Amino acid sequence: MCFLFQKSYTVLKEEDILHRQEDDVTRVSTVLSITRVAASILLRHYNWSISKVHDAWFADEDAVRKSVGLLDKQVVQLSNARELTCGICFDTFPCDKIISAACGHPFCNTCWSGYISTTINDGPGCLMLRCPDPSCQAAVGQDMINLLAPGGDKDKYSRYLLRSYIEDNRKTKWCPAPGCEYAIDFAAGSGSFDVSCLCSHNFCWNCVEEAHRPVDCGTVTKWILKNSAESENMNWILANSKPCPKCKRPIEKNQGCMHMTCTPPCKFEFCWLCLGAWSDHGERTGGFYACNRYEAAKQEGAYDESERRREMAKNSLERYTHYYERWASNQSSRQKALADLHQMQTVHLEKLSDIHCTPESQLKFITEAWLQIVECRRVLKWTYAYGFYVHEHEQAKRQFFEYLQGEAESGLERLHQCAEKELQQFIAADGPSKEFDEFRTKLAGLTSVTKNYFENLVRALENGLADVDSHGACSKTTSSKNAVVSKGKGSKGKGGKIGGSSKNGDD
Amino acid sequence: MANSNLPRRIIKETQRLLSEPAPGISASPSEDNMRYFNVMILGPTQSPYEGLGSWRSPSTSSCGVVETGGVFKLELFLPEEYPMAAPKVRFLTKIYHPNIDKLGRICLDILKDKWSPALQIRTVLLSIQALLSAPNPDDPLSENIAKHWKTKEAEAVETAKEWTRLYASGA
Repeated sequence: MCFLFQKSYTVLKEEDILHRQEDDVTRVSTVLSITRVAASILLRHYNWSISKVHDAWFADEDAVRKSVGLLDKQVVQLSNARELTCGICFDTFPCDKIISAACGHPFCNTCWSGYISTTINDGPGCLMLRCPDPSCQAAVGQDMINLLAPGGDKDKYSRYLLRSYIEDNRKTKWCPAPGCEYAIDFAAGSGSFDVSCLCSHNFCWNCVEEAHRPVDCGTVTKWILKNSAESENMNWILANSKPCPKCKRPIEKNQGCMHMTCTPPCKFEFCWLCLGAWSDHGERTGGFYACNRYEAAKQEGAYDESERRREMAKNSLERYTHYYERWASNQSSRQKALADLHQMQTVHLEKLSDIHCTPESQLKFITEAWLQIVECRRVLKWTYAYGFYVHEHEQAKRQFFEYLQGEAESGLERLHQCAEKELQQFIAADGPSKEFDEFRTKLAGLTSVTKNYFENLVRALENGLADVDSHGACSKTTSSKNAVVSKGKGSKGKGGKIGGSSKNGDD
Repeated sequence: MANSNLPRRIIKETQRLLSEPAPGISASPSEDNMRYFNVMILGPTQSPYEGLGSWRSPSTSSCGVVETGGVFKLELFLPEEYPMAAPKVRFLTKIYHPNIDKLGRICLDILKDKWSPALQIRTVLLSIQALLSAPNPDDPLSENIAKHWKTKEAEAVETAKEWTRLYASGA
């Protein structure tokens, strides 16, 4: 979406698909001098690849005709009899009531209709329909379907034919978003697999999971598998247990007071609420049933649960929890941002436009900011899957990565904050205000800066942070508010590229 | 009665089955349900299912069953959708065969995805008879028997003969 690669794909609506399919059929039909129905049967057989059809046909037409079932003469010589027996119901009919595929095997109208209907309702196999005679290979094409199938089944058949055009073709896929009916035509050999459908769903062409740059498809598969295997456990453990502050084993508190004693050999005594040592508790901290330390700390907001968690992310389960929680919270944050964006587009923009006497076209910077937030949340989310798999022993890389991730996190927070909180006052305002222009400049600036930072981050991670060798640890710049935009400070060494300005020539 | 509006096709097939039975096969409809057939198939010669020379075949079986056979009973049912859907066929006689399980269900393509309405009861039964001559352990219904067949064919064939003697005497 916000990447500057040349678009290597086309989004196809249903009418585009039909149009292309028609064109392909026409082309084959013209080149091979066969009917459109025959051309359609051939194309389906060769997965809608015109070149494969041509190659096979001109190499050995007879063999192709035989295997596809396009007979060039009847196998059954029709007698001159006035009446014929249907091969299915065994009744006799006048010749004009008997229908045959190219082979000439005689079946009556009703039996054909039943046969075709049964096959269509059995699924997409109906696209390869053959004459009912078990020894006969003659193909039955759409002309006969349209002539003989009941109305609803005709539609089903057309549906299958359309689906086949997308699903059997190597260069096209359906957009995987629920309810989306668009398809994507992808030109192989281009750099990025990211595809953005008209329905606004972004996904990876290669693995059809949601878009996951900068992480590669393999990592995503591993991560998703891990989540599905462990998330149930994880959710339960997170919701119902706390780790012992000393030995880190998860503890489920199912009864009793706040005074906990871990099972031997640990036997650590601690307070369930604040996870501090019980020896620090007593009358002065509120006794056995409440914990003032906890209440006070909570009120001050100093109770840093996440810091504690980070400390505890030591054994593998906790390490995974650490990344999973952050992955999942960016995910939900992104969902929320999508909803906010929608709300913005449907309600607030119009309101803002009224209050500040500005045409909606000039409020595009707000939509752009939100789109950027959505995209950044997505990238940030996947950096946690990336982080989980960065090699433990690549110390320098890990440090550098975590630094970049932290900067990304705080940069995005500022943008999100600005788009969410600071905008509120303008929505609530009674009339135009001077500050609105300042706000515009600020939000647009933050959007572009964050966009640049994330683009560079993605590129660097896709390179596997190749610039960092395992010894050249990068000195940490103190995290200032400007760090994200800072012009690659020399001291950051190889990291300079990331924090670099937008003039780094990345387009 | 359901039989009153039996499709012409079923009536014709039944008539032909009775008047010109295929060699080694007999099929006759049940008296109270014309869609339900009692079937007997004679074990093909040169197969482990052929009857042993020493026995007399049951004189009860009227048509098609000849002197030497191991006699296998089957049931065949024509569902409502027949001939658009395949008939349902099952062995009633115990049989040791890699494509037939202990409930008598048969693994045969024309009874499933290769069914065509232009096939008939007769063609189905002929195919089952052919399956007795040529067991296919590569596409098994009964894993154990198939494994037996692939690893120790001679021994498996002996078991099949034994079962034929024990269960398919036609008595």
